[in-house]
Amino acid sequence: MITQHRIRRRMATTTPILLALLLLAFVALTLALGDRAAARMASETLIRVTLVVGFWIFAGNSGVISFGHAAFACVGAYVSAWTTLNPAMKATLLPGLPPALAEAHWHVLPAALTAGLVAAALALVTGAAILRLSGIAASIATFAFLAMVNTIWANWTPVTGGTSSVVGLARYVTPWVALGWAIAAILAASLYAASASGLALRATREDEVAASASGIDQYRHRLLAYTLSAFFCGVGGALAGHFIGVINPDGFYLSLTFLMLAMLVVGGIGSLSGAVIGVLAVSLAVEALVRLEKGFTLGTATFALPPGSQEIIIAVAMILVLVFRPAGLMAGREIMLPARWVTGRGTSQN
Amino acid sequence: MSLQLLFDALSLGGIYAIAALGIALIFGVMKLVNFAHGQFIACAVFALILPSTDAVAALGLGLLPTPLLILAILGFGAGLAVAAEALVFRPLRNASPVALMVGSFALGVALQNFLLVLYGGRPKAISLWAGLGAPVRIGPAEVPLLQLIVIAAVIAILLALGLMLKRSRLGLEMRAAAADFGMAQLLGVRANRVISGAFALSGALAAVVALVMVAQTGVADVRMGGQIMLIAFIATVVGGMGSLPGAVAAGLAIGAASALLQAGLPDAARPFRDAFLYALVIVVLLFRPQGLFAAADAKPRV
Amino acid sequence: MAKLGIHDLAVRYGKLTAISDLSFTVAEGERLFISGPNGAGKSSLLGAISGAVPAAHGRIEMDGDILSGLGPERIARRGLSMVPEGRRIFGGLTVQENLMVGTGIRRDRAAVADDLETAFTAFPILRTRAQAPAGALSGGQQQMLAIARALMTNPKVMLVDEPSLGLAPKVVDEVYDRLCSLQALRGLTLVIVEQSSTRAARVGGRMILMRGGRIVADGDAAGFAAADLLSEAYFGDPA
Repeated sequence: MITQHRIRRRMATTTPILLALLLLAFVALTLALGDRAAARMASETLIRVTLVVGFWIFAGNSGVISFGHAAFACVGAYVSAWTTLNPAMKATLLPGLPPALAEAHWHVLPAALTAGLVAAALALVTGAAILRLSGIAASIATFAFLAMVNTIWANWTPVTGGTSSVVGLARYVTPWVALGWAIAAILAASLYAASASGLALRATREDEVAASASGIDQYRHRLLAYTLSAFFCGVGGALAGHFIGVINPDGFYLSLTFLMLAMLVVGGIGSLSGAVIGVLAVSLAVEALVRLEKGFTLGTATFALPPGSQEIIIAVAMILVLVFRPAGLMAGREIMLPARWVTGRGTSQN
Repeated sequence: MSLQLLFDALSLGGIYAIAALGIALIFGVMKLVNFAHGQFIACAVFALILPSTDAVAALGLGLLPTPLLILAILGFGAGLAVAAEALVFRPLRNASPVALMVGSFALGVALQNFLLVLYGGRPKAISLWAGLGAPVRIGPAEVPLLQLIVIAAVIAILLALGLMLKRSRLGLEMRAAAADFGMAQLLGVRANRVISGAFALSGALAAVVALVMVAQTGVADVRMGGQIMLIAFIATVVGGMGSLPGAVAAGLAIGAASALLQAGLPDAARPFRDAFLYALVIVVLLFRPQGLFAAADAKPRV
Repeated sequence: MAKLGIHDLAVRYGKLTAISDLSFTVAEGERLFISGPNGAGKSSLLGAISGAVPAAHGRIEMDGDILSGLGPERIARRGLSMVPEGRRIFGGLTVQENLMVGTGIRRDRAAVADDLETAFTAFPILRTRAQAPAGALSGGQQQMLAIARALMTNPKVMLVDEPSLGLAPKVVDEVYDRLCSLQALRGLTLVIVEQSSTRAARVGGRMILMRGGRIVADGDAAGFAAADLLSEAYFGDPA
């Protein structure tokens, strides 16, 4: 006899598999177009999946909006740059690096993992302070954290290069590399969501008072989610750096924060599928708008949207979603196989 | 503390207090953390000049005689905030504070990019009230005239606002609505009137900040509202969310801390002043998560 | 014509039905007690009448005008006032400021001043503490402030939700004493939620007994104890 509960659990395990297949299909489809711009868009989108799914691990499970996750991406990108760049180049670009880093010339994979770990460690330390605050005040503190990291990175010139860009990062991020990390993030997110900590944290999201009355240590679970979440944002930042090959602190500041938030809101913060669908939907919209900003011809006339209109349109769309579909496109639902497929029988049980 | 440092701290803290009040007023009545406040400030700055992407700014409203100019910009700020409320926040009236906050963030991005489309991304020089930089001798210290004007204006605004909240009908209704919105409505208080009133005041306060910033820096920059909004947020958290006296006190305290750090930090560390400031705030909150000046009834109801 | 008429009222919170098919009328100047066990729908009923809770179905009329759907701000302007459960005093405002919040809907300044005087005469403690923060008052004093505050809107109908909650019996006597004399003075129509039927019988008036969102009995409050209707409402089968 299969209980309703076990059917649900089996259905839930299909979610990451289906999401991974969806992304695989997305890569295959864009590569089939044979267009270099399409391949670029595919990598960019999958890097955003890593970032936003990482973001969702905290924001989706805790219900607390963080404005600080772009800072973890920033730290991740620079850690990867510090550890992989050619030492001769670092000597001129970043003369202030400590000797161990100045001489490092790592392979990109350990560098990406280290990027994630450093971001996670930073999250553990700062989260220990920030997450003691109640929801809205914590959000404001994460914003202060973002500004703090940006101020330090923009001014710590010998180590970060200041506001000028760090160039020459190995451009190894193909759509397949990005797909690998995106799937890893999705797996980690669904494992966390199904874990005891994830369940407890979502209970606090629904009702803070009742959850604390039932003995859930909200602070500890938030901190765990925050740390795990920062790991994937750190990795995502490293990938973003190695995708373009050039990084600077403002690339990981308010625009990225806005984009990540918009994706989460449009897709729906209530589910992992919402985070992934949000990235796909907003990325496609951004791609279309960027092309419109570059100009298009209709008959003999050329039209172009003024630069900046892309952000305005995304922002307006985000507000419209908040008003008319507050739970986002997925409205808290997960993509999963129907019950009768997972029971292995013709009909579902009750 | 030297006299010069005292004036620096007072004028900086005063402006922070005004910005923080603009945030706290709206949070008080509708539990909205308004991430668009910085853009209200930036919009009020750009309202002074004509839309163009040229490097040199041609004054528009800025050409008016000073008293009219001040009124016009205050009115512009108030009108912009009231319009934002009607278009964006009224449809979200019953949404959660988190959704409101995210919505205001989106509004801020939209406004900032709207300015970019109209005016371009480069900072522009604005020559307004050039004579205000002249130093005035007070005892042993030389203080720019502008600083004295700012301090006097802040004191006048705080007094007027306090009087308005304490003595006027709208002020009474705003305080009642901030304490218990549903009960105020049961007593016939109109939600729209109170919320529009709070937004109008908040927008006018943003315009004050804008005027002071233009007079101090002489530039218009799309990004200029961001940093002061962040400080204002921090002041409202440190002051206890929604507490107006707390926001003012915290704004002044942060201004003082900022001036002291600027004077006390070694040269090499000075660019990191704001980072020290933010870190200081996170440390303060670690010990008093409810804020330094938390209001008695600010605790969540169980 | 009835002062207040409730016709086929239903209130739902999501799938949960708090009130269904509820109808009754209240005559001008009447004092109506509403009693019943917890969860009977008493507070939902007052919420629906005052406009704080939307009605899922049905019609609420005052003097023949339809109130339902107007929202609390406009219903208050029509002359219906509420003393809510838990009093909901504005703790940071002074006592006098609390009294003045509801006078924004009135144009006649002299009448407002008269009513303030009436409130201070009825509750002398409020005059003594007029400039003190309302949050510093005792529970009984806050209940009196809540009643006086509701009166300052110059209502024709006043809804009072559990005025005796959390107060010592002696203070409850005092609250009801003032409430009744103010009713006589102002010609008010009163609807009071009161858990204790013996209290309602002692104060006197009509009483409606609710259970499971419906009316199970309606009659003179004094007759209820004898008729054994109460135990039926609390322990018997739902009507």
